[in-house]
Amino acid sequence: MTTHQIQANQHTQHMISFEQVNKWYGSYHALADVNANVAKGEVVVICGPSGSGKSTLIRTVNRLEQIQKGHIAFDGQDIYAPKLDLNHFRARVGFVFQSFNLFPHLSVLENIVIAPVNVRRSRRSDARIQALELLERVGLVAKADAYPGQLSGGQQQRVAIARALAMDPPAMLFDEPTSALDPEMVGEVLQVMKQLARDGMTMMCVTHEMGFAREVADHIWFMDQGRIVETGTPEDFFLNPQSERAKKFLSDLRSH
Amino acid sequence: MITDIFHILQDNWILLLIGQYPNGPLGGLAITLLLSVAGLALAFPVSILLALGRISPFAILRAPAAVVIYTVRGVPLVMFIFWVYFFIPLLIGTTISGFTTMLVTVVLYEAAYLAEVIRAGIEGIPHGQTEAARALGMGYGQTMFKIVLPQALYNMLPAMVSQFVSTIKETSLGYVISVNELTFAANQINSTLLTKPFPVFIMLALIYFALCSMLTQLARWLERRINQQRTGKRNITAVVANVAPTAA
Repeated sequence: MTTHQIQANQHTQHMISFEQVNKWYGSYHALADVNANVAKGEVVVICGPSGSGKSTLIRTVNRLEQIQKGHIAFDGQDIYAPKLDLNHFRARVGFVFQSFNLFPHLSVLENIVIAPVNVRRSRRSDARIQALELLERVGLVAKADAYPGQLSGGQQQRVAIARALAMDPPAMLFDEPTSALDPEMVGEVLQVMKQLARDGMTMMCVTHEMGFAREVADHIWFMDQGRIVETGTPEDFFLNPQSERAKKFLSDLRSH
Repeated sequence: MITDIFHILQDNWILLLIGQYPNGPLGGLAITLLLSVAGLALAFPVSILLALGRISPFAILRAPAAVVIYTVRGVPLVMFIFWVYFFIPLLIGTTISGFTTMLVTVVLYEAAYLAEVIRAGIEGIPHGQTEAARALGMGYGQTMFKIVLPQALYNMLPAMVSQFVSTIKETSLGYVISVNELTFAANQINSTLLTKPFPVFIMLALIYFALCSMLTQLARWLERRINQQRTGKRNITAVVANVAPTAA
């Protein structure tokens, strides 16, 4: 398919599309022939064993990882187009990390306003109002003047989500957002993510929270050895997995 | 002995403080302070540029930064002073004052050492910080100056203060090219008195000690303040850790 056709496709429904995406680390084939699309407003959960390329795949979408072959388009835009302004593009992709990566030298409020003020050149007063609204949404207005070091892991991750939302991204990417959390804090983060999904946000989420996947995902992508082995609705995937690898993965999960 | 020091101070405090000024050139403590403050103020930005050069992805910036840092760190300071003293006038075709020579030397010398401290500080910041900033659309400059450097400089504050303290002490080497600084003034007094070297140089040591410990205290206060702000309370462990003397 030519680039021209890819772009034509994007305009119809896809928010994110992968075309024959390949990535190598040296001789290690990290992503192999990935072809998949995320529709606007869709929630996709990516699961699979560790080392299967889930995080690598999600990190290629905002070019934190480069790909060597294939095409990725975001909101109709080829993300490797020569004329692409990388910073401008990245500002439109919300990204939430496993380890939160809040800026420890800035207060919660400053963490959220720094990108709107410096990247989008919003007025500081406007950015502050927006930040407080976002904090309201994640239930942390009271912590606006706190520093990340004073917050629990769950609170930090909710601030990180607010920080990503501050740039009004059309899609949000979550790279194992609850894996670094104590079990009792997982719920509060998932709650925020569920609300986002209900509000119609396009989401790609790498997670091991199968309950979340079952409840919120429109589609599940199952990855193994750098390939998307199986895709399907949560019902199909959990009740009737097709591949041997997925069957084994699910039975390993249940045996815990 | 203490009375000796007291008498020497009483008779010579103007010379120690400002040299022969206003009848001659400014000197003494004033010049030491001027050299130190101007040296630090100029060495600091130069060291950041050198550090950024050292970790630059571009070899064209990395190579010259590495050459400057390794060359300067590879020679004794006295020799470096002579280099600047004899070669800079040849290079630019006019003579320069001892003060300027010493300032240039101190700035280059300190910047080279500080650059390595700052580089270590930058490399000590988790990569996730850079990734988070870039993922938000911040460019290299914004990421470096708003996210990475503020954290790196704070973490490296004790090491940087050590370097600043050495700068103050190193201005005393201006003596070898007859810069009228504090050590030079003390030596003048010693030459006049002839029989009192011990009290003269004890007094000199005390003045340097007071200057350096004032800077160290200032840095500790700053560190505590930032730490309190970030944790919202007095951080007992940090305060206790700060009581241990930093190497100066």
